[in-house]
Order: sequence, then structure tokens, then C-alpha cells
Amino acid sequence: MPLAVVVIILVALSFDFFNGFHDAANSIATVVSTRVLTPRLAVVWAAFFNFAAFIIFGTAVASTIANDVVKQDVLSNAVIFAGLVGAIAWDLITWYLGLPTSSSHALVGGMAGAAVASAGWAALLSEGLQKIAVFIVLSPVVGLLLGFTIMVIVFWMFHRYRKVDRLNRGFRRMQLVSAAAFSLGHGANDAQKTMGVILALLIANGIVPSTAGVPLWVVLSAHTAIGLGTLFGGWRIVHTMGSRITKLNPVGGMSAELAAASTLFFTAHAGIPVSTTHTITGAIVGVGTTQRLAAVRWGVAGRVVWAWVLTIPGSFLVAWLAFQPLRWFR
Amino acid sequence: MNVGPRPLFFGLLAIVCAVLLPFTPSEFRWVDWAMIVLALFWAVMLGIEEIVQARDLARRGERSSTRSR
Repeated sequence: MPLAVVVIILVALSFDFFNGFHDAANSIATVVSTRVLTPRLAVVWAAFFNFAAFIIFGTAVASTIANDVVKQDVLSNAVIFAGLVGAIAWDLITWYLGLPTSSSHALVGGMAGAAVASAGWAALLSEGLQKIAVFIVLSPVVGLLLGFTIMVIVFWMFHRYRKVDRLNRGFRRMQLVSAAAFSLGHGANDAQKTMGVILALLIANGIVPSTAGVPLWVVLSAHTAIGLGTLFGGWRIVHTMGSRITKLNPVGGMSAELAAASTLFFTAHAGIPVSTTHTITGAIVGVGTTQRLAAVRWGVAGRVVWAWVLTIPGSFLVAWLAFQPLRWFR
Repeated sequence: MNVGPRPLFFGLLAIVCAVLLPFTPSEFRWVDWAMIVLALFWAVMLGIEEIVQARDLARRGERSSTRSR
């Protein structure tokens, strides 16, 4: 395997590691904020299920990233490298600012920006991008509506139950299951994006045929990288996700995670790369809305939405700029 | 009669999903439809809840004013 390919695979895996690091907060924010687990235990719990996701889910999202975003003949080492630089740089900026943005959208924006810099707008595949763009908006809405619905169902089921302490203990245990489910969804969706990039790289270099599936070593290394990233988790975002959008109790945390996990299971199965960050944000807002709209801190949610709107153009621009010096090395 | 913010919020979500319908690939349109139905269902239910609560409050107000007389 050429050295350039090895280097880019390492960069892709470091993006995956940073994705886990950046998004660890999503998996564990609710269990930490409701004090079901200590931060350290929560991180280990999430990292394990991030890794275990490869046993359950296929590689449909990886295939979408490799084949449906940019035309395969445009993909070169330089384009993929610049795309990754754009995504990583955007992730670092938003991590520094404490904004829960999407690494997935940063990757799509980065790949698109580098491809446009290389071969113009014709390099983009409108059908695949349209699918991704629709679900950028739809996935938080699905998370929100499911979060609200699950929370109301739980209220209906238990509103006559008077032993509140015992009930809360039960929900705290259930939250372990819901956090595990969400971490599975996170691992399945986000690790597959890196697999998609590595698959595109292998295809571009003729190492595997264009019709090939994702090699097992790629699957395992991507899940290991995201699991390790989660293990070293980023704490800046935990605060925003866990307590600043709305105050959560064990019931709310469980409902939000179940809603987000269901959305991620569906999208991972259907091969749609969505943002785990935005899905859980939508679900938390949905749970908060069961109290009243004022229970949601819309100012914080608004910051999330701004970061959401800016991610693809921002990473697109950084990748476009990163590609300019690489023209000389093509 | 004033409609509170929550039914309007869920109504708005239904509109967002409806706007996305033409852009959604045909194999995933059922997701939009399911979310439109769910959002409208909650908009109606929350609207009914607000009407019932407003009536209850009005009745209680009437009772307390008759007692005070």
C-alpha cells in the first residue's frame, strides 16, 4: 500500500477518534447530568457500545459516503486529504467554542469543498447530497417528535404510580440501557462515515474494486478509533448538552436517548449519514417541550441551530482552501 | 380564542416536514408523512388540552365569585 494512502488512512482514523472525542458528550451527557453514572464510568460505557456497534449494523452509511457524495473519478488522495483537513479543522474550531456541531456534516461539507476545488460543481452528486440535506433537517425533527411521544407515553403509563423514589430508581437503571442504545447508534452512524472515506480512498487508489464492500480491517479500525475517542471524551460540550438546553431527570434522559437511538438505528440501516448531535439535541428539546416551551432554553438551542447552519459551508470553505496548495502535488 | 405556543409549535413542525416532502427521495417519503401525522396529532391534542384547561379555570373563577357574593 502506498505511503500516501497509509498517511491519509491515519488522518481519517484520527478524524474518527476526534469524532468520538467531540461527540462523547452526546452519548453520556444525559446519564452524567442525571447522575446515573459518574463521568468516568459513563465514558467507558459509551466507548464499549461505540465499538460493539460493528457487530449489529451493516455498512450502508459507509457506502453512501464513498459513492453518493462526490463522483468517484474526482476522488483522489489530495481531494480526500483536503476534505478531511476541512472537517477536522471545523471540528476543532467548534470544539474550542464549545458548540455541539456535527462531525458528519463537517465531513460531507469538507469532501464536497475539496471536490469542487478540484473539478468544479459538476463533481458533486446531487441525488446523494439531496438525501443527506433532507435528513439534516428531518433527523432532529424525528428525534424531537419521538422524544415528546415517548415522554408522554411514559407519563401516561406511570402517572398513578405513587412510589416516586422507586420509580426514579427504575428509570435510572433503564437509562443505562438507553445510553447503551444511543452509543450503539452513534458508533454505527459515525464510525461508518470514516469507513466510507477509507473505502473511497482504497477505490481511488485501485486497492479494492469500486463494487467492493468495506474490508473488515477498515470496519474494526474505525470502530476502535471512535471508541478510543469516546474514552478520552470532550467535556466542554457535556455541559451544553446535559443541562443547558433543558433540565433533565432520569425519565427525561431515558426518553431522549431512546428517541435518538431509534432515529439513529433507522438511519444507519437506511444508509443515511445524519448528525448524532442534532438528533439528540432534537430529542432533548422534545422531552423539554412536554413541560412547556419555556422549559427549553431557546437561546442555547438557537446557538446549536446556528452551528448547524454554518457547519457545511464552513467545512466546505476550509477544505476548498486546504486543497489549493495540494494542486501542486497531484 | 387564543391558541397557546405548544400547538402552534407542533403545527410548525408539521409544516416543516410537509415542505421537505418534495425534496425527500421517494423511498423515504413515508418518514415525512409519519412525522406530519405525529406532529398534527400532538398539535390537536395539546390544543384540546388548552381549551379544556381554559374552561376549567373559567368555571372555577365563576364558582369562587358566586361564593364571595
